[in-house]
Amino acid sequence: MSHAEKRSPLFHQLVVYSLLLILLLPLLGTLLYSFSTSWSASVLPSGLTFKWYLALWSDARFLAAFGRSLLVCLAALALSLVLILPLLFVVSYHFPKLDAVMNVLILLPFAIPPVVSSVGLMQLFAGGPLPILGTPWILIGCFFTIALPFMYRAISNNLQAINLRDLMDAAHLLGASTGRAAFMVVLPNLRKGLMVSVFLSFSFLFGEFVFANLLVGSRYETLQVYLYNMRNDSGHFTSALVISYFLFVLLMTWAANRLNKDKS
Amino acid sequence: MSYLSIQGLHKSYGDTAIFSDINCEIAKGEFITLLGPSGCGKSTLLRCIAGLTGVNGGQILLDGEDLVPVAPQKRGIGMVFQSYALFPNMTVQQNVAFGLRMQKVKGSEAEQRVKEVLELVELNDFAGRYPQQLSGGQCQRVALARSLVTRPRLLLLDEPLSALDARIRKHLREQIRSIQQELGLTTIFVTHDQEEALVMSDRIFLMNAGKIVQSGDAETLYTAPADAFAAGFIGNYNLLDADAASRLLLRPVNSRVAIRPEAIQIGVQGSIEGQIRSHRLLGNVIRYRIEARGVELLVDVLNRSPADLHASGQRINLNIEDNAICEVA
Repeated sequence: MSHAEKRSPLFHQLVVYSLLLILLLPLLGTLLYSFSTSWSASVLPSGLTFKWYLALWSDARFLAAFGRSLLVCLAALALSLVLILPLLFVVSYHFPKLDAVMNVLILLPFAIPPVVSSVGLMQLFAGGPLPILGTPWILIGCFFTIALPFMYRAISNNLQAINLRDLMDAAHLLGASTGRAAFMVVLPNLRKGLMVSVFLSFSFLFGEFVFANLLVGSRYETLQVYLYNMRNDSGHFTSALVISYFLFVLLMTWAANRLNKDKS
Repeated sequence: MSYLSIQGLHKSYGDTAIFSDINCEIAKGEFITLLGPSGCGKSTLLRCIAGLTGVNGGQILLDGEDLVPVAPQKRGIGMVFQSYALFPNMTVQQNVAFGLRMQKVKGSEAEQRVKEVLELVELNDFAGRYPQQLSGGQCQRVALARSLVTRPRLLLLDEPLSALDARIRKHLREQIRSIQQELGLTTIFVTHDQEEALVMSDRIFLMNAGKIVQSGDAETLYTAPADAFAAGFIGNYNLLDADAASRLLLRPVNSRVAIRPEAIQIGVQGSIEGQIRSHRLLGNVIRYRIEARGVELLVDVLNRSPADLHASGQRINLNIEDNAICEVA
């Protein structure tokens, strides 16, 4: 690969690096802004400081929002694990024909734009038997549907890679019940696929704004809603918030990639 | 008194019958091979015996007990799969010990039994490895050890050698056979490879389209095929229809005839004149394609020395002894 890179014309490198620069520039600007004391009428900031980060990380409202985001995301992921794992196992082991139906079903959350579906959800859950609009519960349920395609795909690819049927047959003949075989033989082999999909969905959900703002808003302020509410505050402060958020998600994505590489 | 007795076994998926009315008797300690082309129902029969696939009717009696209503976990049957089916998350040691764990055999006894069985398959140095660190042949030996450690009443082998390369395959089939004989284990082996079947088995059940076409030892199957399918599947029989056979043998023949290619002699004293069309060197054997009286025959001759090789186009005399001519339905 390095050989091919060396021979590739300068033009190609130029395109790639300038694209990278264009993508990184706003982020770099934000980073610098978050570290600067003030930066308004000059080319470079007048001084560097940590105070915005200190202010941010000692702000009780921010920490609460961070905690709420964490809680809602983890709850949604836990829910999807608890529901999807057994479902996938049953589908691929007992009803392999249903896989086609599941694949369509799984894509539904993508088919409807978030703004449209949130309006529908608002009407549905504003009253009626389950008035959970404005509570974290609706967010957990909604995030669950967003995470569903990622989780389902990752786990089902993983399942296909392990020759489920023969492993189950072998375990059965050695005396294991179906539950025991699933727990001792199948589950440990899904660990990596699970971890990767959980980390990726987490990064994705952690930054979710549309549903969070429309369905719950400030009644249960999550991180992105907090950022939105702070938009009129000091730009340095919100920059520190954006960079903190970005680093956290970067960490998650990096962890997911690491786990993915271990697999090969 | 047979050890395993299958009576009137019937299996179908929807309207498609995989096999119907399978009957066979297997003695204790016998090595049986189910031989047949793919799709003949041999693997399904094996899975039915293991309990992994349900049956629609009939009985499977093992040591007098009907297995059909018994769950696969309780049948006491060991099975080795073509795909090895080793548990990737467990070491060799843990894979082999799995069955004992399920039987709640604990501590030093379990350890001892795992050690013994790993010695049997010559893998004691690999106990700490994971399956992905082993070669195909080693994986299959682990799978064999795993199915032996629980001391099964019956061992089923579902094309265990098909995924391995030729050299490992030959070595492993001898190892399987010697372990089977050492343990006196009643074994059913499924394969589509006639050589494997002939070399390993006490008896071979030849299957086609859901039926056991012929059963018997290797010699019977090889020298006395029951019908045209058996003759076509085993060896490289020359299958002639009644017309061609009559023309070749200069006497009226009423049925199809099968002649083994190595039973035809070529040389000066033969009574049938023929001409060599082509020849192929198969190593120790030279296979000629010879046309005689308008019939094309395959003739195998031992490759004794290069001087024996007959060139294509050469005229030659053939001799076919009467006992080499096998009439098949």
